[in-house]
Amino acid sequence: MTTLDQHVGTRPIPNPKKSLITKLNAGTGLIVGIIFALLTYRGLSTVLDISVYELNNRVLLATMFMWSIGFLAGIGAFIGPIRWLIGEDLTAEEQLYMAGDGQGIKRYFKYCTDHKVVGIQYLWGVIVLLAVGGAMAMMIRTDLANPGGHFITPSVYNSLVGLHGITMIIALIIVATGPFGNYIMPIMIGAADMAFPRLNALSWWVLFTAIPVLCSAWFLGGIPTGWTAYAPLSVQAGPGMNAFIATIIIFAISTAVSGANITATVITMRAKGMTWNRVPIFVVGATLSVAMAIPAFPTFMLAMIMTAMDRSFLTGFFDANVGGTGWLYAHLFWIMGHPEVYVILLPGVAILIEIVPVFVRKPLFSYTSAIVGFAGIVGLSFLVWAHHMYMSGWMPMLNGPFMVTTEMISVPTGLIFLVILGTLWNGKPWLKVPMLGVYAFLWNMLVGGITGLYLSDVPADMYLHGSMYVTAHFHYTLMGAALTGAVAGLSYWYPKMTGHMLHERASYISFWLVQIGFQVLYLGMFIAGAEGQPRRVVDYAEQFATSNKISTMGAYTIGIGFIVLLWAVIHSWRHGKIAPMNPWGAKTLEWTVPYPVPLVNFDTPPVVTSDPYGYGRSAK
Amino acid sequence: MSEHDSVDLKPTPGDRLANFYKRSDVIQSTIFGVIVTGIFVILGGKFYTKWMPTVMSTDMKAIERLMVVFTWIAAPVCGVVLGVALYTFLNRHSGDTQPPDGPATRTNGPIVLLWSVVTSLLALTAVVYGITELNSSSIASAKNAEDAMVVNVTGSQWVWTFEYPKLGVTSHELMLPINHPVTFHVNSVDVNHSFWPVQLGVKVDANKVAETTAETTPNKLGEFDVKCAELCGLYHAYMETTGEVMTVDDFNNWVVAQGGHSA
Amino acid sequence: MSSDIKFQVHHDAPEAVGRRERLGVRLLIVADGAFVFGMIFSYFYLRNLDHNGGWIPKNGHTFSASSGWMAVLPLIVAALVHKLAQRDPSHQGSFSLITLVAYIYGGYYQLHQLANMPFIVKDTGAFEGAYASCWVVIAGANFFHYFVAGFIALGLVFRSRRATVNPILESWRIRTAASWFTWIAVSGIAFAITTSFI
Repeated sequence: MTTLDQHVGTRPIPNPKKSLITKLNAGTGLIVGIIFALLTYRGLSTVLDISVYELNNRVLLATMFMWSIGFLAGIGAFIGPIRWLIGEDLTAEEQLYMAGDGQGIKRYFKYCTDHKVVGIQYLWGVIVLLAVGGAMAMMIRTDLANPGGHFITPSVYNSLVGLHGITMIIALIIVATGPFGNYIMPIMIGAADMAFPRLNALSWWVLFTAIPVLCSAWFLGGIPTGWTAYAPLSVQAGPGMNAFIATIIIFAISTAVSGANITATVITMRAKGMTWNRVPIFVVGATLSVAMAIPAFPTFMLAMIMTAMDRSFLTGFFDANVGGTGWLYAHLFWIMGHPEVYVILLPGVAILIEIVPVFVRKPLFSYTSAIVGFAGIVGLSFLVWAHHMYMSGWMPMLNGPFMVTTEMISVPTGLIFLVILGTLWNGKPWLKVPMLGVYAFLWNMLVGGITGLYLSDVPADMYLHGSMYVTAHFHYTLMGAALTGAVAGLSYWYPKMTGHMLHERASYISFWLVQIGFQVLYLGMFIAGAEGQPRRVVDYAEQFATSNKISTMGAYTIGIGFIVLLWAVIHSWRHGKIAPMNPWGAKTLEWTVPYPVPLVNFDTPPVVTSDPYGYGRSAK
Repeated sequence: MSEHDSVDLKPTPGDRLANFYKRSDVIQSTIFGVIVTGIFVILGGKFYTKWMPTVMSTDMKAIERLMVVFTWIAAPVCGVVLGVALYTFLNRHSGDTQPPDGPATRTNGPIVLLWSVVTSLLALTAVVYGITELNSSSIASAKNAEDAMVVNVTGSQWVWTFEYPKLGVTSHELMLPINHPVTFHVNSVDVNHSFWPVQLGVKVDANKVAETTAETTPNKLGEFDVKCAELCGLYHAYMETTGEVMTVDDFNNWVVAQGGHSA
Repeated sequence: MSSDIKFQVHHDAPEAVGRRERLGVRLLIVADGAFVFGMIFSYFYLRNLDHNGGWIPKNGHTFSASSGWMAVLPLIVAALVHKLAQRDPSHQGSFSLITLVAYIYGGYYQLHQLANMPFIVKDTGAFEGAYASCWVVIAGANFFHYFVAGFIALGLVFRSRRATVNPILESWRIRTAASWFTWIAVSGIAFAITTSFI
C-alpha cells in the first residue's frame, strides 16, 4: 500500500527554495500568537467596557482564540491550506522539509508532520499535564489532610479541584493515543506515516495552544465549578471560566482532527496482508477510542459554546428565567462525558492486552472476545449517559432503563478480563515492569468495575451520588486502569521511542510506590464516601478525619512514585541502557524497525501473513 | 461457585477432566479463588455496615442491603479473577531472559460461551434486584404520598431552608416526626444544589424553578446531617445543617415553639 | 477538505489518495454531525420543556419558518451545482464559480439575518428567550458551514485555472469536496426543518 520515498537513501540537504516554511517554528508561533492576543485585547477593550461582565467575557474569549489562531499562523499551520487554496500545492521537497528530515532536535519545535515527532511532542505534553495535575492533586490532599485545615481558601480549593479535573481529563484522553497512537501505531500497522500528516501536526499544535489558555485560568480567578462545569454555576462563575470554555473548544477541535486522522490511517493504510483479524489489539482499541471521540466531543463543544453565549451574549440556554435549564447542559455534557470515560479507558486496556501475550509467551486468548468486548463497550457507552443524572430529577421514570444499559456494560468488560486471564492461564509470566501493570490493572479494574455496579444502581446511587465514593470509583477506573495501562505502555515502548531501556530499578520502585499509595489513597476515600462525605469539599466534619488522613498519606506515596518515574524517564532518555531492536521478543511490526526509526519507517513495505500473536510451543 | 469458574479456564482440550482437577495450578488457583471469594463475602458486607452511618429510614436500610448484596454478587467474580491472577503471579518466570513459550492456545469456545453466560446472568441478577428495589421503593412512596407531610426544601448559596407549608413554619434545621411519611419538594433559587439528608438515604438535586421531589419515612429517633452533594460555589463545603427525627409530641412542641400551628 | 499529498504517499495511486481523503472528510462530517444533532436535540428539548413559558416569552419575536429555509437555500443550490461540476469536469471551473457565488450570497444572507435579529431586549441587552438563544446558535452553525464551504469553493475556482494541478487527483478532490457540500446541505435542511417548529 505504501510506497517508499525515493529520498530515503540519499537524504538531500533540504533547501526548498528558501520558502517561508523554513523560517517558521514554535518561537515565531509564540511571537505571532502573543501579538495577536495583545492586539485583540487592547483593541477590544478600548471598544468594549470590560467592567461589564458579559463584555469582559467577550474580550477574554476573543483574546484566547486569537492567541490560538495567531500561534498556528506563526508556526505555519495555515501554509498548507493557503497553498492549496491558490493552487500551488506543496512540492515534494517542501513536504520532505516539513517532515523534519535531517533537522535533528529542531524539528520538535516545528510544525513537523512526521508521526514520530508528533508522538514525542505528545509524550512530553502529557508528562507536563500530568505533572501539573498531579501537583494540584497533592495540594488538594494536603488541604484535606486535617479537618478544619486552612491550608488554602475555599476559593483556591474550588479552583484547584476544577483545574486538577480538567487537566487530568485532557491528559488522560491523550495519554495513550497521543504518544503511542502517533509514534507506535502507524509502525504497528506497517504504514509509512499517518493518513494526513499535516493534520497530525495540526492536532498536536492546536492542543498545545490550549495549554497556556488553561493555565491562564489560574490568573483569571480559577475554575470554581469542577471539571463538569455545570450550568448555571458556570454562568455565574468569574472570568477564569472563559479559559475553561476556550480550552475545551480548542481541545475538541484537536480531538476531532486527530480522531479522524488515526481512524483514516488504520482503515486505509494497513500493510499488505493485515486483514481485520490480524490487526494488533492496541490498534483496535486506540482506533475505537478515537473514533468514539469523534461524535462525542462536539456535544461538549456545543455545551461550551452555549455556556459562552450565556456568559458573553446573555442568551438563555441555562437560565431558568427565560426558558433555559441546567438539565440541558447536563445532557450535552454527559452525552460526551460517558463515552469520554471509555475514550480514556480503551487505549490503556488495549496496551495491556497487547503486552500480556508478549510476556506470557502465549497467543492472545480469544482475539474475537477482545474485539467484541471493545465493540460492546463502545456501543453501550452512548446509551448510558443519564446514569450521571439519576438524582437530577430530569425524568425519574427513565432511571430504570439507564440502570439496565449501565449494568450491561459489565458483560463486555467481563470479556476483557477473560482475554487477559485466558492468556495468563497455563503460562509463566515474565514480570518485567510492563507486565506488572497488567496485574495492577486486574485488581484496579475489578475494584473500579464493582464499585461502578453500586453506582449504577439507582437506590444505592441515591446514597453514593456526589460523595467521595464516586471520586474514588472513577479514579480506580481512570487512574488505576487507564493510566496504569499508559505507564505500562511507556516502559514497554520506551526502547523503541528513545533507543534506550527505561531505568529498570527506578521503574520497579515507582510502580510499587504508585500502586500501593493508590490503594491506600482510595481505600481511605471509599471509606469517606461510605461515611457520607460529599466530594469537592474544602473542609469536612471531624468524623471523616481518619479516612482523609489515610488518603493523604497514600497520595504523597503516589507523588513520590511518579517523581521517581519522571526521573527514570529523563535519565534514561540519554543515559539508559542501549536497547536492542526487540528487547521483549514481541512479534508486532514496530519491533522490526531499528532505532532511530527511518523517516518512512520501513525500508521495504512489510507484508503481513498472520496475526502478531503467534507465540507458543506448537505454533509454527 | 468459585471452584467451578476457576476450573472453567482450562484451555487445553487434550486434558482429561479427571486429571484436570488434580493439576496443581488448578488446585492452587481454586484455593486462592475460594479464599478471595470468602474474604469478599465476609468483609464486603462488613465494610458497608461498618462505615455507613446510622440507618434512620427504610430507604437507608434498603441501600445498605443493596450494597451488601452487590458485594456478594461480585465476590465470585473477584474469586475467579484474583485466583488465577494470584496463581500466575506467584508462579512467575524470573530472570532477565525471556520465558519459554507456553501452549499455543488460541481460544476455547465453550469457556468463552460459559464466561459470557455467567457474567450476563450475574449482571442480570444485579439488574433485576436493583429494579425490584427501585420499584418497591417507588410503590411505597406512592402509597405514602397522600398522607405525607410536605416539606418545601429550598437551596440557596449556601443555606438550606425548610418550609412546612401546612404548619406555617420555616426553619434552617430539618425536624421530622418519627414514622410519618414525608415528601420533600426541592427547589433552588440560584445554582444547582443536591439535597442530601445523609442518614435518611435520600438525595435529590435542587434545580432552579423545576421542582424535584423525594419521599422517605424516618424510623429512628436521633440527629442526622443535611448536606449539599453538588458543587455549588464558594462555600459548598459549608452548606450543611442538622436535622432531627423526633417523637410526634416533641415535633408538635417544636412546631408550636417556632410559632406554627401543630398538626 | 484540504490537500494532503505527502512525499511518501506521493506515489500512491490517485484512487487511494482520493479514498483516504474522502474517508477523512467523512469522519470530520461525523464530528460536525454530532454538533448539529446536539443543537437540534437542544432546540426540541427546550421547546418541549418551555420553562415558565420562556421558550418564546409574551411579546417575544420569532423568525418565520420561511426565513430559515431562505438561509439554507444557497446550500442546497450549491450542492446541486457541484454535482453538475462532477459530471462535467471540463466546465468544472465555471460550475465552481457558481457554487462560490451561492456560498458567498448565503453567508451574507445569514450574517444579515444575524445582524438584524429582533430578539434582543433593549434595556438589558439579553436575549428574549430559549427560542432566540437556539436560533442564534443555529444561524451561527450555518454561517460556519458557509465559511468553510466558501473556502473550499474558492480553492476549486482558483485551482481550476492552474495547469500545475494534477487533473486526476483534482477530480478526486472535487469528489471529496462534494461530501462536505452535500453534508452541509443536508444539515441546512435539518436546521430549516427544526426552525420551522417555532
